Amino acid sequence: MAVNAEPPVPAWQRGRVASWLVTVDHKRIGILYIVTSGLFFLAGGLMAVLMRTQLAQANGDFLTRDSYNEVMTMHGTTMIFLVVVPILAGFGNFLVPLMIGARDMAFPRLNAFSYWLFLFGGIVLLLSFFAKGGAAKSGWTAYPPLSLVQSGNGQDLWILALHILTISSLAGAINFIVTIHNLRTEGMSWTRMPLFIWSIGTYAVLLVAVLPALSAGLTLLLLDRNAGTHFFNPDENGSAILYQHVFWFFGHPEVYIMILPVFGMISEIIPVFARKPIFGYRAVAFSTAGIAFFSMLVWAHHMFAVGMPSFLNGFFMISSMVIAVPTGVKIFNWLATLWRGNIHFDTPMLFALGFLSVFTIGGLSGIFLAAFPIDWQVHDTYYVVAHFHYVLFGGSMLGIFAGLYYWWPKMFGRLLDERLGKLSFWLIFIGFNVTFFPQHMLGLLGMPRRIYTYSEGGLWEAYNLISSIGSYVMGAGILVLLVNIVRARKGPRAGNDPWLADTLEWYTTSPPPPHNFDSVPYVASARPLYDLRRRLKERGVL
Amino acid sequence: MRRSLAVALLCALALSGAALAGNGGIAPVEPASPNAERINDSYFWVAIFTGAIFLLVQGSLLWFIFRYRRGRRDRTQEGAQVHGNVKLELAWTVLPVLILVAIGSFVFYKLPGIQDVPSAGAQGGRVDVQVRGYRYYWNFRYPNGVIAVDNLRAPVGQTVRLEITAPTFDVIHSWWVPALGGKFDAIPGKTNVTWFNAKAPGTYRGQCAEFCGIQHAAMKAQVEAMPREDFETWLDDEARAQEAGTSELGKETFDGVCAKCHGLAGEGDIGPRLSGNRLLEDAKAVEVIVRNGVGAMPPVAKDWDERQLKALTDYLREKVANGG
Repeated sequence: MAVNAEPPVPAWQRGRVASWLVTVDHKRIGILYIVTSGLFFLAGGLMAVLMRTQLAQANGDFLTRDSYNEVMTMHGTTMIFLVVVPILAGFGNFLVPLMIGARDMAFPRLNAFSYWLFLFGGIVLLLSFFAKGGAAKSGWTAYPPLSLVQSGNGQDLWILALHILTISSLAGAINFIVTIHNLRTEGMSWTRMPLFIWSIGTYAVLLVAVLPALSAGLTLLLLDRNAGTHFFNPDENGSAILYQHVFWFFGHPEVYIMILPVFGMISEIIPVFARKPIFGYRAVAFSTAGIAFFSMLVWAHHMFAVGMPSFLNGFFMISSMVIAVPTGVKIFNWLATLWRGNIHFDTPMLFALGFLSVFTIGGLSGIFLAAFPIDWQVHDTYYVVAHFHYVLFGGSMLGIFAGLYYWWPKMFGRLLDERLGKLSFWLIFIGFNVTFFPQHMLGLLGMPRRIYTYSEGGLWEAYNLISSIGSYVMGAGILVLLVNIVRARKGPRAGNDPWLADTLEWYTTSPPPPHNFDSVPYVASARPLYDLRRRLKERGVL
Repeated sequence: MRRSLAVALLCALALSGAALAGNGGIAPVEPASPNAERINDSYFWVAIFTGAIFLLVQGSLLWFIFRYRRGRRDRTQEGAQVHGNVKLELAWTVLPVLILVAIGSFVFYKLPGIQDVPSAGAQGGRVDVQVRGYRYYWNFRYPNGVIAVDNLRAPVGQTVRLEITAPTFDVIHSWWVPALGGKFDAIPGKTNVTWFNAKAPGTYRGQCAEFCGIQHAAMKAQVEAMPREDFETWLDDEARAQEAGTSELGKETFDGVCAKCHGLAGEGDIGPRLSGNRLLEDAKAVEVIVRNGVGAMPPVAKDWDERQLKALTDYLREKVANGG
């Protein structure tokens, strides 16, 4: 069906650079997203190492107070808005049309528009370090009144950058929704879609549902700062709490926006390397939708310490605990997928198994946080920092690395080196746990988050030093990953399907041609390539 | 099955035992007040279940990785083509629900003892203190008008009720002394109430938990719990001294309010040097600055009593302006 009838391309668009600048090919846009987010990841990681160096010892003076607060704010903002969300958009862009057997995204130009807005939003954000008064320094949450009293232009640029990124994400999300709803190949019903498609579809719906709340809140904040309004200014009878509700109505679903597509990746990778079908396809797919729905009902669990009435605290505790149920279903189903498998420990699988182990820890510490009296002790401490890094680094990033190693051969037609891959996994996995596990203890011992220094004495010093050392180990793991990527240009050719996988993207060549497929097999199950191999075997071809 | 369950339970018990005994950060800091104790009880209750789930998941993960590793098997060799099992999946949906019901019920059972302030008429009576968070200090006010900064003296064995807020011109802070209970935000325009009842004399440290700006890390607080008679004597003496202007309030205010940005000896840090600055002898000029703020300096004293302002200006004139 897919007809190879490319429109003629003008000569000036064929150059090596120009062809990337004008591209509307979803695969190239996906790669642009991933490379750009990867660079932002290095920037955000550098900021993290700066912070850990400052905190390695008591009374550290590696960073000044102001620069610590800027770096702390920008690390969070960068990792969330410039790394995890867009890199998932990148994987989605590359994979969605290939996995559903389509020619491209539904709106290729809108797709390019999303990418370029993302790039410019990122540049605005990072360049705000050079603004008058430096970058924003009121945390990635930018709570007023603090964000109202910060002088300089950093906070305003922060708001504007987020506005740009929001528009980018919205356009991208609409594109995903339309693509998934309309461009699936013949035979691919909802319950035959790859689970990654389920998760990207849910990611997109969530983005459309909650990003407008962020935009609204940020607009009011911008007006308060620059136009003399006082929505959030208590000195003029505004409400400081209102912003928190608006922000977290976006902010908590954002957490699931950053993890659901990774769940999708894990649901693709574990079965392939266990040589089994996913255990309970429907449960995994529907729990994705369930998590997304409940994620919009839990926001005020970030606000247990503001003093809400007990019935509200109770409501948000129960809703937060309810969300643990579909998440648990996923974890148990992934475990069951390993059961009686033929488990191959290639690098993607190592990262996926690492994900399973540490994400569980992040989920369990979340139950303590959901029980609001316990939250009164651990809220805004390093316990929370540990928790969300177990979810966002241990969860999202390990999953993203798994996905990177898994789909790299499809993207570039070359295999990454397995020995370097395993080395990078162990460095990252061990470094991660050494960095973040002691932070649980720090929080329980009373160390608040977002402090630029602390005094001598007690266990704070020991745990902080251990944590900083872990961050360097993790950094070394990332460097090994980079070396692997650079060397992969000369790696062995991958072939169409190096992992003997089950989904359509492995049917075409690596890298795929511009039009993706010459023909797409009819999809009769969630594992079209498995079916194909079986049919060929029956006919004695394979 | 029963044996692995027993093992899991034992491990969870051992873990909580270790936590109770040592506490290198396995549990919240040693509680010194009934509300903090009840929070810790809830913590251990949750830890039993999460510990068991932790062992179950990590254990079966390791077991499967070991048991079903490829060995010499080729990639083309299929694992068992199992597509699911409705009964099993129902089980691991329903079981977590039951666990969460158990956790939630326990939390609600403990909640009144954590949240509700014992009434003033109860045995031993009650001390009500107003707590106000400013950039970057805590201002306390006792019922008899005594003012204190950063250091809250409190009686042992008597309920202390805290009314926590921040002035409308300031930002959000969060009151937290871990041994004496959970944290509550000090929010401009909103008042939160919490309490503690210190079990033993001692100094309990804490610090602001809501990021409040450049000196957030320096916004520390402590509760100095003392025998009730000592506390009452101190409170009466201090009330008289503050009325007469002979108290240490001026120094306490300087250390808590000014020193965070101008240096402990007023030698200058974020703010300019104060020590030896003759302008500080002019109480009127000082008042204009501390009441209104100047440049990056917030209006730290905008809503202070005359008493505290006078104590500060006196201290500045006598001890700081001359470089002493």
